[in-house]
Amino acid sequence: MLSLWLGAYDQGLAYASLALGTYLTLRVLNFADLTVDGSFALGGGTAAVLITNGVPIPLAMLAAIVLGGLAGTVTALIHTRLGVNDLFAGILTTTGLYTITLRVMGRSNIPITDITPVVNWPTLGQGDDGRWGVALTCVMLGMVCLLALILATDFGLALRSIGNNPIMARANAVNQALGLTIGIAAANALVAMAGALVAMYQGFADVTMGIGSLILGLGMVIIGESVLRPRSVPVALFAVVIGAILFRLMIAIALQLGLEPVDLKLTTAVLLLAAMSLGHIKLPGVNATPQDVASEPAALPASEGEADGEPNRGERP
Amino acid sequence: MSLQVDQLSWGHPVPGGSWRQLFRNFNFQSPSGQFTVVIGSNGSGKSTFLNLLAGTLRCSSGSIRLNDQPLQQLSDHRRARRIGRVMQNPLEGTCPGLTIAENLRLAEGRRRSAISWRGLTGVHPSRADRRRYRELLQQLGLPLADRIDTLVGQLSGGQRQTISLVMATMGQPQMLLLDEHTAALDPKAEATVMALTDRLVRQLGTTTLMVTHSLDQALRFGDRLVMLHEGRLLGDWSAQQRQHLTPDDLRKMYGSANVTQNS
Repeated sequence: MLSLWLGAYDQGLAYASLALGTYLTLRVLNFADLTVDGSFALGGGTAAVLITNGVPIPLAMLAAIVLGGLAGTVTALIHTRLGVNDLFAGILTTTGLYTITLRVMGRSNIPITDITPVVNWPTLGQGDDGRWGVALTCVMLGMVCLLALILATDFGLALRSIGNNPIMARANAVNQALGLTIGIAAANALVAMAGALVAMYQGFADVTMGIGSLILGLGMVIIGESVLRPRSVPVALFAVVIGAILFRLMIAIALQLGLEPVDLKLTTAVLLLAAMSLGHIKLPGVNATPQDVASEPAALPASEGEADGEPNRGERP
Repeated sequence: MSLQVDQLSWGHPVPGGSWRQLFRNFNFQSPSGQFTVVIGSNGSGKSTFLNLLAGTLRCSSGSIRLNDQPLQQLSDHRRARRIGRVMQNPLEGTCPGLTIAENLRLAEGRRRSAISWRGLTGVHPSRADRRRYRELLQQLGLPLADRIDTLVGQLSGGQRQTISLVMATMGQPQMLLLDEHTAALDPKAEATVMALTDRLVRQLGTTTLMVTHSLDQALRFGDRLVMLHEGRLLGDWSAQQRQHLTPDDLRKMYGSANVTQNS
């Protein structure tokens, strides 16, 4: 029983960088990036090919991350240089990536049988599951800290302004084309990393493994936000990782209750729908999140006196 | 001359397939530090002129020079480094999902290139930044000084315009463009924002163009008043000449219905 929960925890962490990538594009940059579906499989496929050819795991991961970043760069350039709508730019890249992933892999499915870890992670008495858990916890904590730090700099502030109000970002001399390109590339690098981790964890890579990744990532982001109601970027990033773990736990529970693997995609869709609906349900006495307030149309301008008389709403803790 | 516009032309298609040439060989000059108020009826080209100066619209011919530098040759973000803008809609002028301190930091960093390696050095707004912004808002007599960590999306329209105005004046802009920035405010908020506008413009000494529909503002603020009509200058008065004008004179000039007097 414990190994079931541990397995779900490990899988959640393996998928967490997919959720972080989705958070970066959808929440920070406000860019609906469908490249995610292609770059997830590209990451998994690249890692599988390289590992089975004897390349050390860190190098295989690095190659997957770089290729994912390149895929994101292509989408960003199609959008910023050619003026193609964000959805179409992502679909175009994903369509092309299917062929590229197949070319990289050489066939549609590659099993990864022999993984030699570079670092001898402690097992905590739980065998391989424990080792995966420790390794992924360290990697994801590091990733959250790194992203939180980057998003707290002037660079991160500029990226957040692009997603928040592109007109104002432009008026404040933010180079939007470059910002979007770097942001989307970074997001897809994270997604490709998730693809590589998932391929290693499940022991195979498949050219179709990326289908539905965007919606999966979005679901994880929404679940995390619904649970933690973050009011700052670092908490939001942490919430995204928690969302990924909770989502995999829900799937594990569904399987434990006797659900057949063939019904998994439908269950996934229903779970995500439930998570998205929860975001719309306002519970009495529960304050709106900053995102809700920021996205609401502005009320009619109140006089200075009126607004100043109110308590300090929305102060960040 | 700080702002020099020569032979500017710009037009746009209109329903029915025809073309409306709004600006035809339009010329305009403003010496350094001059505060010009621009009035005119709807469709006269006031906001379009500001958009052409800011680069959100591209002129078909002519030149725009700011401190002897041709603006058209600059990319959008390089042009924006030189220009502070306040929009008509309080929602557009700030980033509602960022705090007041973060918005101010964004504006202050306009002269730097945030999307670069340099933008990654240090966490901002830092504690020192926030203290500085609090002091700045206190100096300006704004009660918002105590709410530096409040999301701008949670402020009233007047407060957002105040922050937008302070943002526009940060980062040493060479020109300030104010596009009907009090149009969406109630009279009390309008008075607060206009008093702050006058103070900041005088303090900064930046070449400023302010578009307004308010005849009261037109006759009270600025060093110069110009009236646009169909992309042409219909009137041009210095502050001294303006003293002899009354709201009725102006109303007669533009023949009217669009003019509102907030007095």
